[in-house]
Amino acid sequence: MAEEKYPINIWINEERFAKLDKAGLGDLCEEMLAGLKVLRVYADDAEKDKILQVFPTAKFDSATTKSIELLPKDVKDKIFDKVVEKQSVNIMGDFLSAY
Amino acid sequence: MAELGHGGTEIVERIMEPSEAKEKIKGLPQIPIRSQIANEVIGIAYGFFSPLQGFMGKADVESVCKNMRLANGVVWSIPILFDLSEEEINKYGVKVGESVVLTYGGNPMAILEVEEIFEYDKKSMCQDVYGTDEAKHPGCARTYEYKDKFVGGKITLVQRPKINPPYEPYFLPPLEMRKKFKEKGWQRIVAHQTRNVPHTGHEWLMKGAWFQTYAELPIEKPLVGVLVNAIIGAKRKGDYIDEAIILTQDQLRKSGYFGDHNHLTSLTFWDMRYAGPREAVFHAALRTNLGLTHHMYGRDHAGVGTYYGAYDAHHLLATVQKDLNIVPVYSMNWLFCPHCGEITSEGLCNHQDEWQKFSGTVIRSIVQDGVKPPRLIFRPEVFDLVMECADKYGFGSPFVTDEYLEKRTPVFEIPPM
Repeated sequence: MAEEKYPINIWINEERFAKLDKAGLGDLCEEMLAGLKVLRVYADDAEKDKILQVFPTAKFDSATTKSIELLPKDVKDKIFDKVVEKQSVNIMGDFLSAY
Repeated sequence: MAELGHGGTEIVERIMEPSEAKEKIKGLPQIPIRSQIANEVIGIAYGFFSPLQGFMGKADVESVCKNMRLANGVVWSIPILFDLSEEEINKYGVKVGESVVLTYGGNPMAILEVEEIFEYDKKSMCQDVYGTDEAKHPGCARTYEYKDKFVGGKITLVQRPKINPPYEPYFLPPLEMRKKFKEKGWQRIVAHQTRNVPHTGHEWLMKGAWFQTYAELPIEKPLVGVLVNAIIGAKRKGDYIDEAIILTQDQLRKSGYFGDHNHLTSLTFWDMRYAGPREAVFHAALRTNLGLTHHMYGRDHAGVGTYYGAYDAHHLLATVQKDLNIVPVYSMNWLFCPHCGEITSEGLCNHQDEWQKFSGTVIRSIVQDGVKPPRLIFRPEVFDLVMECADKYGFGSPFVTDEYLEKRTPVFEIPPM
């Protein structure tokens, strides 16, 4: 059975979209919630647990969306920058190694 | 005509005239109380918690824990307790048969007629009320923080609290609320329990409940209202600030998504216990006292984590329905369907593969990212007001921070006598 993956939703405003577009990564965005753009970075089970431990404000929305929410904006900015740097959304292992 | 509340008891405000109060408190020991107890003093004295007239004695606590009823048989689900340590009891000279003054913020708030001083096993209380004795459950944590003695007895306010802006128009105690409903001509009123800034999922919960409540009533004139009753109490970091919650709920009416003819926003002071099904029963009693005829319950009402099943509250309510004077209105989740191009109910739409579900947590996450959600998900007037509240009340953040907790204007104060 494939390992469960949990998305971290990085919501895309104009500033973030401009950075993605410049890096040729605009296609990484998905549309959610009536057209709102989102970049979904995935964590596996162990990474999810580590995120919730390292960032205590973060919450796993187990009831509705099965996503990891409420990471501080500066943390999401760093995850976003890592995606741009690595040109991939599979960066959580690399990102969390610093914590 | 008497206004009857939960359990068929007349709602009576236990509030003294100022001239009488000054005399009554002379020479009595004064005991400072924390915000939770002050909230509950208001709940008791204004009749939000009718038929309670004071903090519970042991027979009521035991009966509430074991049978979910007061000792007199009226349905009641959560113990209402005033705790003191042995040391405090000695220090203040608290004695059965005598009265003490409860002070808040240094000023006299209420007289407590001490009828009983007792102990109760907290672990067993947690197991009965919350279905667990784990300290990580926030209701259990609150119970374990109680000091070791409980003092039961009747409460009478010696002066009314001063409700600070911007909350004051929203403090409508039961007798005042009932007058308001009569003025509006509403025959049925459905409660929307909240401690959130509304997204369109919440808006449609209210609209759906309004339709359900209207049922067979004639439609020539407005006969049904939605009462938003926001729970204002202890805050956790990361919650929306109280000002944003109460003002944005009312903004839905002001911006025309509802109107004066069908929507009213109000507040109740209460520190959430997250007791899930038992909190749902408590809400039924509370809103009965406020004069409501119907109460909306969604999934996992007042729950926390994975302690309760999605519909446990509905099942528990069903066991006591014949003893309640409020009709439960059960609501399914609302979501966005891109195929329909609208907010719809999971009970209506059949495009399951396309559904875009959202929650208050997801919306908070979007706002925290500095992104304005689409109007179909979050009303622009609500978003703008959230941001305004951040500047005006939240020290730059719409969410509770350490600075907010330290410096915020209290929701109410007790003035000097």
